[in-house]
Amino acid sequence: MVAIIHKRSWRDFDWILALLAIGIVLFGTVQIRNAQPTEPYWIKQLIGLAIGLVAMLAIAFTDYRRLLNFAPAFYVFGLILLIVVLIPGFGLRINGQQAWIKVPGIGQFQPSEFVKVTTAMMLARYFGKNRVQALTLKEMIVGGLILGLPIGLILLEPDAGSVLTYLPILAVVLFLSAIKLRLVLASVLIAVVMLPVSYMVGVKTGVIKGYQQERINVIWDPENADRRRVGYHTWQSILTVGEGGLFGSRSSVEHSQSGLKFLPEPHTDFIYAVTAENSGFVGCLLVLLAYVILLSRLITGARRSSDRSGMLFIMAVVGGLTFQIFINIGMALGISPVIGVPLPLMSAGLASLVATFIAIGFAISIQLRRFVN
Amino acid sequence: MKFEDTSQNLRARLRFIQILVIVMLGALSVRLYVLQVVRGERYAEIAENQRRRRLPIPAPRGVIFDREGRVIVDSRPIYNVIMSREDVKGKDLNSLILPLAEGLNLDKDILRDYFEVVKTMPAFESILVKQGATPGDIAWVEAHNLEFPELRVEQQPQRRYPDNGSLAHVLGYVGEISPEQLKQQAVKDKGLKPGDIIGLSGIEQIYDDYLRGRDGYREVVVDSRGRIQDQIEIVDPIPGRDLVTTIDLDIQKAAEEQLANSVTKRGVIISMDPNNGEILALASAPTFDPNLFSQRITTREGRAEYAALLNDPETPLLNRAIQSRYPPGSTWKIPMAISGLKQGAITLDHSTLVCGGGITIGNKFTRCMGNHGTPDIKTAITHSCDGYFYRLGLKMGIDGIVEMVDEFDLNKRTGIDLPNEVVSWTPSREFKRRMQPRDPEWRDIDTVYASFGQVYDIITPISLLRTIAGISMDGRLYIPHLLKEVKAFGNPGTPDFRGPVTFQPLDSSRPNPKVVAIPEDIDQAVVEGMWRVVNAGGTGSRIQMAGFDIAGKTGTAQVVGLGKDTGKNKDHSWFVTYAPAYKPEIAMVALIENSGFGGSHAAPAIRGVYDVYYRKTRHEEPPGMVVKQIAKAEPPTPTAAQQTAVVSR
Repeated sequence: MVAIIHKRSWRDFDWILALLAIGIVLFGTVQIRNAQPTEPYWIKQLIGLAIGLVAMLAIAFTDYRRLLNFAPAFYVFGLILLIVVLIPGFGLRINGQQAWIKVPGIGQFQPSEFVKVTTAMMLARYFGKNRVQALTLKEMIVGGLILGLPIGLILLEPDAGSVLTYLPILAVVLFLSAIKLRLVLASVLIAVVMLPVSYMVGVKTGVIKGYQQERINVIWDPENADRRRVGYHTWQSILTVGEGGLFGSRSSVEHSQSGLKFLPEPHTDFIYAVTAENSGFVGCLLVLLAYVILLSRLITGARRSSDRSGMLFIMAVVGGLTFQIFINIGMALGISPVIGVPLPLMSAGLASLVATFIAIGFAISIQLRRFVN
Repeated sequence: MKFEDTSQNLRARLRFIQILVIVMLGALSVRLYVLQVVRGERYAEIAENQRRRRLPIPAPRGVIFDREGRVIVDSRPIYNVIMSREDVKGKDLNSLILPLAEGLNLDKDILRDYFEVVKTMPAFESILVKQGATPGDIAWVEAHNLEFPELRVEQQPQRRYPDNGSLAHVLGYVGEISPEQLKQQAVKDKGLKPGDIIGLSGIEQIYDDYLRGRDGYREVVVDSRGRIQDQIEIVDPIPGRDLVTTIDLDIQKAAEEQLANSVTKRGVIISMDPNNGEILALASAPTFDPNLFSQRITTREGRAEYAALLNDPETPLLNRAIQSRYPPGSTWKIPMAISGLKQGAITLDHSTLVCGGGITIGNKFTRCMGNHGTPDIKTAITHSCDGYFYRLGLKMGIDGIVEMVDEFDLNKRTGIDLPNEVVSWTPSREFKRRMQPRDPEWRDIDTVYASFGQVYDIITPISLLRTIAGISMDGRLYIPHLLKEVKAFGNPGTPDFRGPVTFQPLDSSRPNPKVVAIPEDIDQAVVEGMWRVVNAGGTGSRIQMAGFDIAGKTGTAQVVGLGKDTGKNKDHSWFVTYAPAYKPEIAMVALIENSGFGGSHAAPAIRGVYDVYYRKTRHEEPPGMVVKQIAKAEPPTPTAAQQTAVVSR
């Protein structure tokens, strides 16, 4: 029995998905090394890849339905982690954010990255029952609560950037859970109208402060914004990306934007700018293409899922990943504000990497069981 | 899909999400194209510029020597605290004022003023925060590297002048180029930029192009904090060329000492080789310390010092040799004598004129200081007979005097290689019209005034010296100058080689020398008259040196009307001279302001300089008695017309 499953497992295993993910990580590791040649971040990233692969395989060959049955337990465990990180002594404070737990031997990891997975599991389980009717208000409220608890805790860290990446998870789950289209349209409409209105009201009333305003302004006009302070990150990132040109910059690693420390956080938040500087437009397009294929494979997997909860989980992951990729790369290209969101599979960071592989493991597991009932 | 879900258009919704993903990432690729392909070149250039810095290596300025190779001006290395402009771009400079003022012991107000100026100037490499940093300042900059990464310490040569103010008016000084100068096209063409040190006065200014050299630079790569990471290119500076002046420091020192020991300590002594116009000494007192401009002008004390100089009633910044005009008094009689004879107003055979103790024109009597009977030209010079020259002037007429002025270039600049030389005022009908618009007609009384060095004759010491030296050389008037040679630079045969440069008239259309045709017998007669002034009981006889034939002429320039000429308003004392009389080696002029009779003050000062010259060239003690400065008042016997009622200047 085991042998048969294994044989079939290897045949149905989504090799493209796994290899694509590994490929992106390896390419990212090269860029991390370019960004910080003297620091061991790239070695840590390889260790993270190994851990991620083990986790991915372990989850891939476990029945996801059994895992989803334990979703509330995982979810609660996730919440506990978010509480632990807030306790002084356990949580590590970096740049004014208490978002990391120190792990002896490996360094530190960010629980909010893991909790994305457990929250997605919880949402998938709750909304995974067969639907007979449109989404009810009660369901929406419960969904909002499932998301609201971890978000509330993360806001205490405070890590507004991470919180933003949670929102698309719920949005996708609701969208695919038969929410009425007019509600979707209405909320999109409200968002479109409210965003500029609230911005203007915020500026007028002083709720949005000068530097926050500058962060928005720099998106429209990076060259004339305050390039020294608020606009510095964005401007330097734009320069770094631009310097890459078509095939990559001519200057040596030592004289690169990251090497001379003009580009801040080159191995994490701005890893894509480093990629752009080193591999140019061509390399950047290939990375984007890799992400598109990866996300498409995941969506395909969702379509093949044998039940709603599997489909919802994969799509929640897709929603979260897409949003993070868009925000992070947009940040490097100067079209979204600078918020500390890592680029999945490329930014140096253990938690983000392992969490992503866990999610991919889930997706593979779901696909492996598409024929069994 | 394995589960039934048609009611919610799930398939379509999934498709929608997939399209949304592709659209979002597709939008990113469009932005990428714009940044990397469309604007890539530009951003690459900006990125390149922000990590490149060009750090200037100042060129050492040329050394200035005296004619015997003794160093007059050189430079020594000092340390400056520099602020990289690129690193403070967009930063509020005002926020730096307080910490910098405290840390580097600078004056807050000066720093604030300076930063205001900096803001209005076009971008350039660096801002000079403190010149002449002490070891303590350097340690402070290094200790605050994290706080103020834009600060840097650089070595720079600083000009060092003789610190007693010696030669200050000749040397001039250097200083930072001013924003006004930078607007001039000629300055731009030389590639000068803000912060450059240039000559602002004296020969430092006139020969700046030779002395300055060209700065080199280091092209370096810096990180985001402005710390140097790598060096790409180094271009060595081209040092400025050394310059040998015609100054003889021994004579210069003697001249300065004479002025310092004079009654009023105000005046001029110029010494020149009449054979070629080389200035051996040029002293103007009071003087100033040029180191103020090259070293201290950015400090509060330095500014106060400068303000004090500007407000000093004794005008120490003025180079009296070329920028002050004085009535020449009786020294004027020398060119008068030459031209009177040349123009035929008198002849050598019939040169006698009545002294008469003075002259009456209309109802106005203008007196002579003595009664000289009926002297000939030589006696009139020797005893400085005013009555004689009143009558000579009337014979020549104003037109004759104007001709004389023109012939001896007295109405032009001498062309000395110093900036801001002024033109003398000389008699002419036009001059009177300007001076006395209510009585514009030129009258005989005016001719009388114009003929003995008062009222209409107001000239610079340098132009008088040139004239007298020219007469000593049978009419060859050389352009006085200070440049002996700009030393050759580089190795002969290489493309960088620059040969030595000698003095060329700044105005190349002027002949050097200008030759005034003077018949030999006329010249000899006047020279003899001047010889007698010193050697045959004339007005300068107290400075006689046996065997060293000094020729000279005293002068006493009236400052105010007779009777008021005491204290501060005493007459200016002149002596103009050359020696030996019949084979001149050296010509000199001395003017001691408000000291009194020429023979009592200027002539003894000249003698002091002659003593030094004599010892130096003859290698023995000078003959004749060593003259002491006379302090007691002299009876106003032989010279100068002190009785003119007209005193209008």
